[in-house]
Amino acid sequence: MTIKSSVTSTAFSRRGFLGFAAAAASAPLLAACGGGSASQSGGGSGVIKFWDMPWATPAYNDAAKKIAEGYAPASGNLKASYQTIQWNNFYQTFSSAIASKTGPAVSTGGGFQAFQFAQQGQIAYADKVVDDLKKNGMYDDFLPGVLDPFKSDKGYVAVPWQLDMRVFWYRKSLFEKAGVALPTDWPTLLEAGKALKKVGAFGFTTGSGAGNNYGNHSMIMMMVNNGGGVFTKDGELDVMNDRNVEAIEFILELVSNGIVDPAAVSYTTDNMSAQWKDKKAGFGLFQVNVPQRVGDTSGDLLVADPITGPHGDKATIVFPNNIMMYTNTPSQASSEAFLVAYLGQLKELWRQKLMSALPVFKSITELPEFASDPNNVKIVNDWQPIAKTFASQGNTLNANLAVLDGGQALNQFTQTILTGKTDAKSALQTFQSGLQSVLKK
Amino acid sequence: MALTTAQTGLSRARRGVAPGGSGKPANRKSKLSSQTRKTFFWLLLPSVVLLVLIHGYPLVYAGVQATHDGSLLDTGEFVGLENFANVLSSEAFWKAARFTLLFTIVGVFGSWLLGLGLALLLRTKIPAGGLFKVLLLLPWVVPVVVSSTAWNWLVGTPDSLIPSIFRNLGLGTPLFLADPTLAAITVMVFKVWISFPFMMMMTSAALASVDTTVYEAASMDGASRWQQFSQLTLPLIARSTYISWILMTIFCVNDFPTIYLLTGGGPVDATTSLVVLAYRTVFQDFQTGPGVAIAFLMTITLVVVSVILYRQIRKSSVE
Repeated sequence: MTIKSSVTSTAFSRRGFLGFAAAAASAPLLAACGGGSASQSGGGSGVIKFWDMPWATPAYNDAAKKIAEGYAPASGNLKASYQTIQWNNFYQTFSSAIASKTGPAVSTGGGFQAFQFAQQGQIAYADKVVDDLKKNGMYDDFLPGVLDPFKSDKGYVAVPWQLDMRVFWYRKSLFEKAGVALPTDWPTLLEAGKALKKVGAFGFTTGSGAGNNYGNHSMIMMMVNNGGGVFTKDGELDVMNDRNVEAIEFILELVSNGIVDPAAVSYTTDNMSAQWKDKKAGFGLFQVNVPQRVGDTSGDLLVADPITGPHGDKATIVFPNNIMMYTNTPSQASSEAFLVAYLGQLKELWRQKLMSALPVFKSITELPEFASDPNNVKIVNDWQPIAKTFASQGNTLNANLAVLDGGQALNQFTQTILTGKTDAKSALQTFQSGLQSVLKK
Repeated sequence: MALTTAQTGLSRARRGVAPGGSGKPANRKSKLSSQTRKTFFWLLLPSVVLLVLIHGYPLVYAGVQATHDGSLLDTGEFVGLENFANVLSSEAFWKAARFTLLFTIVGVFGSWLLGLGLALLLRTKIPAGGLFKVLLLLPWVVPVVVSSTAWNWLVGTPDSLIPSIFRNLGLGTPLFLADPTLAAITVMVFKVWISFPFMMMMTSAALASVDTTVYEAASMDGASRWQQFSQLTLPLIARSTYISWILMTIFCVNDFPTIYLLTGGGPVDATTSLVVLAYRTVFQDFQTGPGVAIAFLMTITLVVVSVILYRQIRKSSVE
């Protein structure tokens, strides 16, 4: 045997290689334009297809499935089927399914997804559902202001079912150790942060690493807390307003004083949770049910009071998650009847303590299973009334907010601020330019 | 004189000429009958049609999206090459292109050097060699989502294991994922760590196919160990090396999870590669046309690079 024959393969032809190389090299194209993973046929299957996201542990989806599939429709209406859709590539999954007419008739989803699909003419407006809720008394049970953001010129784009609140939490023992009072406004927040730093903790805990949007939310929250926001009341882009500049200058002051963890820019949500659990986080913006999330239910982690901005404003941000209906349905009347019935059963999810968000109905906030947690009560009483959406200073939600929330412009802006190597006006200017280039007029 | 003899011997050995052999390669070209060719054609046809459908449709559709101003649901209006022009004139694209180039160069050659070294080491008899081989394959076998979590645990916070070691050694507390330069280095090291087992296996297979008598011939001609490595081993595995380079180039350029799971492309885009940029443009900014245009440009570049390297393989075969 010659050496040449041992290293030469006749199977390795030019065409074969080029075919392989082209196929492998086209992977990004396939990834970029590939379809989703819709697995069921369209709305014509004789049931109302309800798609739901993994909002909490798998036990949540089991309970939600039980509610959906246990729905007994009135005569003439269709029953419902339940499908869990993973968050991973969810927009692609919904888009592909809707484009191929295999999508759901009713679904939960991304906070602004309903507005995106409404823009494409795929959403069935929920005015009749709202009318039914008025008739059965549930309309009056909504917490103040939670339904209004969904009203557009054409009608209600979706109906809220839970509120993903952003509130300040603190670790009581760290404040005691630092010998400092809880902050009530921005100067005392700075003072508390400096005191916490002396005991090895951070006074403005946040994170902006892979898949973590809490940093983004902290930026917008502080703008809104100062009476600012990304949009005007009329929905026009307004990043460079004075209140925003002032808020970002304050955050940069927190960064330069070491009150923000210098590694926060790369923190995932798990890293953030670990900081809270490991007593490195003294104060910071987070979601509902932080003790359960980080695994410390000793009572040391508590909801703080809202703080007041330098001009007297007091506000936080909220993501009103919603249920939407689609035009591709076997029966619009059945979609509406199912949605009304499903909303009426939501209390079961909180009764079983499966949710990490606030309910939208007052009656659920009064359930003993919910109200027995003083943190929940404080959020409902003190934070929910001052909560504003990403649309601030405006009120009505729209499709552009999906680009703001989780988009590259806000993420880059947040990371730039958290590294501290910028000034407020330059960073905001870049943020505004980035948003302008991607927002639909 | 001895050097000349060694060079001649090495040259003969590389060409597969045993001492005393004629050096004429065997004619291995097969002659297929017309009937056999037809049979091959019909046997291959279903696969080819399937491949064209699977790859052709998305390619064509991607072409449509790249030249339109639409979304995932709606094709939108035809804008010609505007998306390409916009992408090529954006600073973000060129920043991502620079990082992709660096990430690919380090990923390909870093993993190749490590894989080559380990493949050579594994040729020698070492204690528990089998176990050693299995352990070395783990980075390639373990899902990236698992290994990225492990790496985050190792370097994610100032109190993670590796920063703690640095601190205890009096070297400060490096923020491996928060500092833009360190984050880029960390992602590249992570890529090398994930990829070297593949290179090691490719190189091991190539080394196994080399006839050991060539080394005996080279030794008889007085070649040193370094001469044997540089002028026998490397040329004899060159074909396999080029193939592994091509494959790893494609793997690196297309690599999404390694970067996205560890850093998400940050901080401040320091680790944003083209494929991450394309993903974020389409799925976070909902700019389908520009995002697909980025993917198109990547594909074209990859095909060109692959063809250049393929020609290098042909050249090395002829030599």
